[in-house]
Amino acid sequence: MSDSQLLRGTALRRRSFDRFISVLCLVAGVIALLPLAAVIAFLLIEGLKAWSPAFLVERPGSVVGPGGGAVHAIIGTFLMTGLALVIATPAALAVAVYVVEYRESRLAVVVRSAVDLLAGVPSIVVGIIVYALVVLTMKHFSGFAGSLALAIIMLPIIARTSEEMLKIVPRRLREGTMALGMARWRALGFVFIPTVASGILTGILLAVSRAIGETAPLLFTSLGSNFVQTDFSQPMSALPVYIFQNAINIGFPAAKERAWAGALTLVTIVLVLNLLGRWLASRAAVRGAN
Amino acid sequence: MDEENDDVTTTHAAIGVNIAPPALEVAHEDAEVTTTQTAPAAAIEVRGLTAHYGTKLAVSDVSLDAGQRSITAIIGPSGSGKSTVLRAMNRMLEVIPGARLEGSVRFHGMDVYDPSIEPAAVRRTIGMVFQQPNPFPTMSIYDNVAAPARFNGMVRGRVETDQLVERSLRLAALWGEVKDVLGKSGASLSGGQQQRLCIARALAVNPEVILMDEPCSALDPIATLQIEELARQLSKEYTIVIVTHNMQQAARVSDETIFMSMSPERGGYVVETGPTTRIFTNPSNKLTEDYITGRFG
Repeated sequence: MSDSQLLRGTALRRRSFDRFISVLCLVAGVIALLPLAAVIAFLLIEGLKAWSPAFLVERPGSVVGPGGGAVHAIIGTFLMTGLALVIATPAALAVAVYVVEYRESRLAVVVRSAVDLLAGVPSIVVGIIVYALVVLTMKHFSGFAGSLALAIIMLPIIARTSEEMLKIVPRRLREGTMALGMARWRALGFVFIPTVASGILTGILLAVSRAIGETAPLLFTSLGSNFVQTDFSQPMSALPVYIFQNAINIGFPAAKERAWAGALTLVTIVLVLNLLGRWLASRAAVRGAN
Repeated sequence: MDEENDDVTTTHAAIGVNIAPPALEVAHEDAEVTTTQTAPAAAIEVRGLTAHYGTKLAVSDVSLDAGQRSITAIIGPSGSGKSTVLRAMNRMLEVIPGARLEGSVRFHGMDVYDPSIEPAAVRRTIGMVFQQPNPFPTMSIYDNVAAPARFNGMVRGRVETDQLVERSLRLAALWGEVKDVLGKSGASLSGGQQQRLCIARALAVNPEVILMDEPCSALDPIATLQIEELARQLSKEYTIVIVTHNMQQAARVSDETIFMSMSPERGGYVVETGPTTRIFTNPSNKLTEDYITGRFG
């Protein structure tokens, strides 16, 4: 065998091995994408059967019959998630600030571990706890109890991302504020948090996306309702609850279709919120860019 | 003290804020009793300063003076503790985890480490400019200068703030370049402009001393010369201490030079101090001579 043949043989082996691995990676990539594609395809095919613009604005009709909208569930979802956001964000930011700024204190370590544990508590357990503490005390289900359950689910997500963000505030900025004799809370509010705002915003968005799809904690707290309800002291519907209640009516094809339409609506809302959040985050990032 | 205070108030009349917080004055009266000798023109006196980072000795037994309304340069090789000494002067050393120090730092005879004194008050009176320009990235040029002063209660209202911003930017020789873009982000400026913005920001909280920690090491030669020229201008009203790697810079700008070196047993220490012209033409120590002639360091 001549030298040139030997070289060609090696090249061929390497090329075919390279091709083999490339194909393997491609297949793995496709496998990862398949579930997502399947979800979207099913949602579109099944969801569009019952979905129409009217679905967004009409009140619910009969459970067994066709038609009827989900306006009560959409309003409920926005109200409860919104209130949860208002409750969770300041609390989570405060936790993150405490954990980062007072990291030498032992309590900060405890708080940090507690946040991690909270993140690991199954959402149904959160629902049961809020049921025991709020619903039983108030003696009825309410949108407020639902918001509280969602806020508890959001808190560790926002706290952890905010913590990671505050940790990456450059030391030279920290020292800059100190060298000017700035109070720490002012440095945080006017320099550190604005500087990492885009990252914190991403965390908030992540938390909203997670909470907006939660069903289990709402079943024990806001219960669900067939009316358009804006009073937080009353039971409230939400899209996941609406989907659940329609989907369990397996005997009625119209209910099943409404569940698909609700699912399509929910996923669309999450998608739009994500795009909106990304846009906001990129604007914040441009403002804070070095 | 009273005389000095009057001086300062006159100097800063445009801002109209007395520089010494009450706490500093109280401490001063105690200090007068214990201070045995005070060089008349020294604004800052460091005596017997020894500092550690954890268990590592950074500097030992450093004593030096920084003359009022003049530029004192601290030069020396890397690791000789120049920045450590500078940071000890405005209590920015203690913010480094593990840093601790012994010895005393006096500002016009007042012990800046007196328990009755707020570190923040010391840092406002003895301002600092860092190696890397650090404007607040989310704030406009205007707010970079105005916000810290406003937070410290130096100014109130739009007119007063406008005046302070203009005055500080003029003092920092930046006004002409930014007066039409005050709303733009501080981070949009060039490195040299950012450094001058940081100087303006420090001036806006009405300091008496400005510490500069290698302020030109991240800048190009032209921006470096601008900062040096600015330092010369500012030294007519302010006390300036500048740490630099660059011997030419020390020779160009400073009135007094402090040469530091280090050894394994002593950490960083002061080799020689004196008027800059003498240090650079006729050093009395062999180490200094070797360093300034480029034989080591």
